[in-house]
This record gives sequence, structure tokens and C-alpha cells, in this order.
Amino acid sequence: MTEPAPQSKLPVMIGIGEYHVGSVPMMAIGLGSCIGLTIYDKDRHIGAMVHIMLPESSGRSDRPGKYADTAVPLLLNKLTEMGCRKASLVVKMAGGACMFEYFGNNLNIGERNAEKVRAILTENHLRIVAEEVGGKSGRTVAFYPDEGGKVTVRSADGAAHEI
Amino acid sequence: MDAMQELGNIGAAHAATTLSQMLSSPVEMSVPKIKVVDVAQLGSHIGEESAALVVFELQGEIPHGGYIIFYISRKSAVYLTNTMLGLTDPDRPLNEMDESALLEVGNIMASAFLDATAELLGFIMLPSPPVLTIDMAHAAMQSLIAQMQEDIDEVMLFSTELVCAEHKIDSDIIMMPETSTLKTFVERLENLMNPS
Repeated sequence: MTEPAPQSKLPVMIGIGEYHVGSVPMMAIGLGSCIGLTIYDKDRHIGAMVHIMLPESSGRSDRPGKYADTAVPLLLNKLTEMGCRKASLVVKMAGGACMFEYFGNNLNIGERNAEKVRAILTENHLRIVAEEVGGKSGRTVAFYPDEGGKVTVRSADGAAHEI
Repeated sequence: MDAMQELGNIGAAHAATTLSQMLSSPVEMSVPKIKVVDVAQLGSHIGEESAALVVFELQGEIPHGGYIIFYISRKSAVYLTNTMLGLTDPDRPLNEMDESALLEVGNIMASAFLDATAELLGFIMLPSPPVLTIDMAHAAMQSLIAQMQEDIDEVMLFSTELVCAEHKIDSDIIMMPETSTLKTFVERLENLMNPS
């Protein structure tokens, strides 16, 4: 998934369950209980972003980016294939809100997503350096590998701020 | 699919009538659409714009049957509650009174939608108590999809646009049934068309 030099600053849109690896700006809009996970290689100035919807893949392998337990290894493998070393990786996470407490028939998916991401990262000896998770509001997350791996978060009524 | 279209049509037509009565103004209804949307493409259908969503779970004979959603952009929501509350400022923030009004409108429309579809299908569908969120539309829809009973890659949306030109109100009524509910719909509709 290497790409030619970006023609413009328009970010690659990462839909639910999708991911991207490279140096162009990437964006996941309107995260509710979903998680936007970014991993930046500070030596190579490239990174990867994934838009996770559920904690467990339960054996499914056709959409690895959709589940926390398969999405984290997916990004790590892609980055390793491109020559990234674990010691250079900077991990950030946003999302995991709980917008509908009343319909809590499936526990808090946002929180479970975030916990699963943390657990799989720990298994891989990585930790999150910055995160903005939980709460009740939706978020749009943007990732700029070409600007030092900057990650910004914006809510419905707010301006984007860096995490 | 035609029968499914009719199902959405009847529900939306009743919802449009109740909206028209509440506003004492004509409400135009689009042709109801049935969209099958891959979750990865949800953002092409529902963006990050700020909107009010009044959400109900489908209950009754099918517990956890999916969701019905009254969707209205933030701007239209102000026009709607202004009309109902006799106010005129289109740029004011939404307050508790607006929230009550939106819940009430959503409630009446969802009930009308479900009454009509339930009558056609011959089984009872009831709306849960409503939940209102005023936030990024995509984030709200995504959260609902994530907590559906089955892990799905596609959702089916029964979506109809309801427009009140006089008051500049543009809204949608959206039904998002669970896969199991869709199966029940199809079975019932087949029985209706081919009674044995």
C-alpha cells in the first residue's frame, strides 16, 4: 500500500473497518463507539490508521480492520513489512464514546473497543502515548504522518485540537 | 423488493401526515428509498454534520428488532421547534424545550410509522422510549450499527425524506431493521401476496 507523492492535501477517508498505510493525511469521520487508531513511525515518517468498530473478530478474517483484536496486529504487520521498528512507533487512539446509554443491551461497546485495543497493544509491548476516548460525543480524527505524526480530534461543535 | 418498498411507503406516508398535522403546513414526501449500505461506505450516505436524531428501538413481537430514527439537520431542527413553539430566531442554540419538542415529534412520527407497517404486516411493532442525540450524524448511526445483535457488514436503510418548504424543514425518517426482522418482514409479505 505505498502510494505516489500526494497530489493534494485531501485526506484519505478511512471508512468503518478500513485502514491505510503511508505518508498522506488520513481521516476517519464521525466516530461514535468506533475507534480511530493511529501508529506513526517517527524515524521513517510514515504511519497507519484504522477505523475499528467492534472488539472481537470471533474468528472472522475477511475484514481485519473492523475488529480491535485483528486490527492492531494488521497495522503492526503492515508497518513491519515496510521496515518499521517497534521502538520507533508512536501509538494514539480516539473515539470509543457511548452515545446511547439507554440502548445498553450490548454493554458499552466504545469502552470495550478501547480496552481491547490497549490489551492487544500491551501483548505487543506497545503503549498508547495519547488518547481521547469515552464520553458521550462523536469525534472526527485526522492523522498527518507528513507533519510529524500529528493527530487532531474534532467534535460536532468544536475546533480540531491536537492530542 | 416492491413489497418492501410499499412497506416503507406506508410507514413514511403516515409519519408525513402526522408531521403535517403538527406543523399545520403541507409536508412533501420523497419516494421512499431502500438502501443497502456497506458499513465502510456509511460516510458517503451520512456525514459528520451536526444533526438531531430521535432514536427508538423496535420492540413488540420481535424484541431488539432494529431501530427507527427521526433525523433532522441542526438547522432544520431549530426551524421545526420555532414553528412549534412560536419562536422566530433561526440562529439560537437548542435548549431543553427544543429537546422535549423534538422528542415529542419523533415519538408521534415513529408511532405513526410503526402503526401503519404493523397493520400491513399483521404483527405488533412498538417503539421503545425515545433517545435524543444532537451530535455528528455519522457517529450516532455508527454507534447504533455497532450495537446491533448481529455482526453485519451491510445495513438496510428504509429512508424517506420529509420536507416542509413553508418552514424550511428538511428531515428523514429512517428504519434500520435487524437481519432477523428483515426475514420476518419478507415472510409476512410473501404470505400476504401469495395466501395459501
